[in-house]
Amino acid sequence: MSDTPFELVYDWYGRGLPPNIRIGRDVYIDSAYGFAPFRSQRTPGLVLGDASGAYDRATFVVGPQGAVAVGEYTVLNGTYIVANDRVTIGSHCLLAWGSVLTDTWVGVHASPVARRATLRAVAGDPARHPGPVEPPRPVTLEDNVWIGFDSVVLPGVTIGRGAIVGCKTVVTMDVAPYDVVVGDPMRVVRRLDPDDTPEARERALHEHLK
Amino acid sequence: MTQLFYPLTPGATLPGDWFPGKIPSNVVAGESTVIDSSFCFKHFFARGLVGLRVGSHVTIWRTSLAADADAVIEIGDYCYLANASLVCTERISIGSYVMIAGGVTIADSDFHPVGPAGRIADTIALSGRGDRSHRPAIGVRPVVIEDGVWIGWNATILKGVRVGEGAVIAPGALVHRDVPAGVHVAGNPARPVQEAP
Repeated sequence: MSDTPFELVYDWYGRGLPPNIRIGRDVYIDSAYGFAPFRSQRTPGLVLGDASGAYDRATFVVGPQGAVAVGEYTVLNGTYIVANDRVTIGSHCLLAWGSVLTDTWVGVHASPVARRATLRAVAGDPARHPGPVEPPRPVTLEDNVWIGFDSVVLPGVTIGRGAIVGCKTVVTMDVAPYDVVVGDPMRVVRRLDPDDTPEARERALHEHLK
Repeated sequence: MTQLFYPLTPGATLPGDWFPGKIPSNVVAGESTVIDSSFCFKHFFARGLVGLRVGSHVTIWRTSLAADADAVIEIGDYCYLANASLVCTERISIGSYVMIAGGVTIADSDFHPVGPAGRIADTIALSGRGDRSHRPAIGVRPVVIEDGVWIGWNATILKGVRVGEGAVIAPGALVHRDVPAGVHVAGNPARPVQEAP
């Protein structure tokens, strides 16, 4: 269903991309390795916007009912995305290595009995897919969000336009547009000047495209 | 397109494995325990009769089982290890019904000496010119993860820690002290939380 034919050249992994992903123009994908846990049955299960990129070991752990949408010019550099409902990432976002975006808890809120039942169920599934222990809650990153390395964005969170999440931050609640948040527990340390106007974007497209 | 898993069989070459390796022969695994690739053993250098002992019905996916020469990694039944790193010098013991999420690191050593002179010696011993079998002394204390523990994404568990039965380690937590049974911890350094994060 790609808008343009997309073929991974010289991929060491060699198992190919899933059919139900929509890949925009000038998209970069390092390897199909990150798509091995992609089990979405939705159409499309993943959208990669024009000129976005899934670099290094960007990984898509997407369940049968999950879907991921990524905007234009967004960089997924070794990001680990878990979606059993919906993870939406805007345009011009930067996501660093080791960062995790998840719409599903592994079950830390579940009772010990429920957790054991989950692990028994996983062991009985030939695909060994750990189904959602708790109902998923969609995660949304608006445009121009920067996520530092090893950060974790937890279920139900929305991160506002232009915000920065410092490295190793655990994002447990919404982040307002243009806020800079750091730490675990997370705190706001700065508010950025919202200078990313449509005019600024047009100027950048004019000056920085080949 | 589905992630493929193979029975964890000592000495085996996994059919269709993308990594050109084998399962080490000093592995013991119970029934219905599976793994995705021999790549998990890329840093497995245990030389003992049993370097990795795994129970039954365990899933190991993209998990680095890094083991030094004298290391022993023990894993119980019905565990799920996804995209984690176990870095073992002496002993890491994981009980049954333990979930370990993506990006988790569990280590039983300091990796290098703490003292400056010791670190100079270690860089030399680890170099291409050095003798890796005679590194300076490094702090090592075994890690114990008891039954029913859940460990969230990108959490880190350091040497000497015992995590008690049924405890929960929140995503991103850095655990350097024991966690009592049933307690939920979060943060860096990890502290008990009253309610779920």
